[in-house]
Amino acid sequence: MEDNAALVAPRADEVPDSALLVAFSNGDAQAGRQLVARLGPMLFGYAARVLGDHGDAEDVVQETMLRLWKMAPDWRQGEAKVTTWAYRVTMNLCTDRLRQRQARPQVALNAVAEPTADLASAVELMTARQRSEMLDAALSVLPDRQRQAVVLRHLEGFSNPEIAEIMDIGVEAVESLTARGKRALKKALYGRREELGFEDDRKQP
Amino acid sequence: MTESNRDDIALETLFAAGRSERPLPSGEFLERVAASADAGAAGPRPAPAARPVLRLALLGRVFAASGLSGAAALGAWIGFVMPEAIDPLTLGSDDTVALATFLPGTDIEAILDE
Repeated sequence: MEDNAALVAPRADEVPDSALLVAFSNGDAQAGRQLVARLGPMLFGYAARVLGDHGDAEDVVQETMLRLWKMAPDWRQGEAKVTTWAYRVTMNLCTDRLRQRQARPQVALNAVAEPTADLASAVELMTARQRSEMLDAALSVLPDRQRQAVVLRHLEGFSNPEIAEIMDIGVEAVESLTARGKRALKKALYGRREELGFEDDRKQP
Repeated sequence: MTESNRDDIALETLFAAGRSERPLPSGEFLERVAASADAGAAGPRPAPAARPVLRLALLGRVFAASGLSGAAALGAWIGFVMPEAIDPLTLGSDDTVALATFLPGTDIEAILDE
């Protein structure tokens, strides 16, 4: 789905987000609509992955955009990227939701028919949709901060310094979160190896 | 290739699928958010409009209040600038007492002397 990637990747000939925001604060509603078209799908994809619920993701994205409109008159160009600001707000709203909810719903998996030798072989046999569902299932058991860092790094494509800015932590802390998150993902996948149909032939220490 | 590397490859394959199978918002939702941009660009939100019945009631009160105060102000003004005009209409022969009623604290003698 190349269209999805196009939603996230910035284009060189585009008017910068910050310029659109300034135009919006000067009464240009069309600039606001352009920001919605750019940020809406990005933030929704992130929130849906972190929250595991599309309805909650919509609420969070809408609230983020309302805060953006409110903040627009005070925006100073060059201080921060609009996307970084928006992701930070969305992430914090997601964190609030997850705290209120206490437990994130775990995603069920459809069993894979053919048993395979290892995880990689099982993944090779899956369709893209099955792989994505498998990833969601594994993400659902991660601690919130690890899940947010992993999604930002490996699904949203942010660099570690950018994630550090979004999460308001140091770069080393980001590296630690993503590394632990990946280990936890593997552990979660191995925990479901019977559903996924592969053997655990890792050497025991 | 070690098992760990193969696991990493499996994980990267899953991430790639996650990027391509990105959850997408509905067009209806995006339009709803875009509508909030239209409202936001129009400046501070106006106060919600009063219901028609309530609006009429408010209008009546405004008329009543402005009518009373307007009449009082007009009467006071006429009494002030043309005391002789109201004399035959309302006050009989004793204009001093009547004007003092309209304009308490006013130096009636001074006005009449002008």
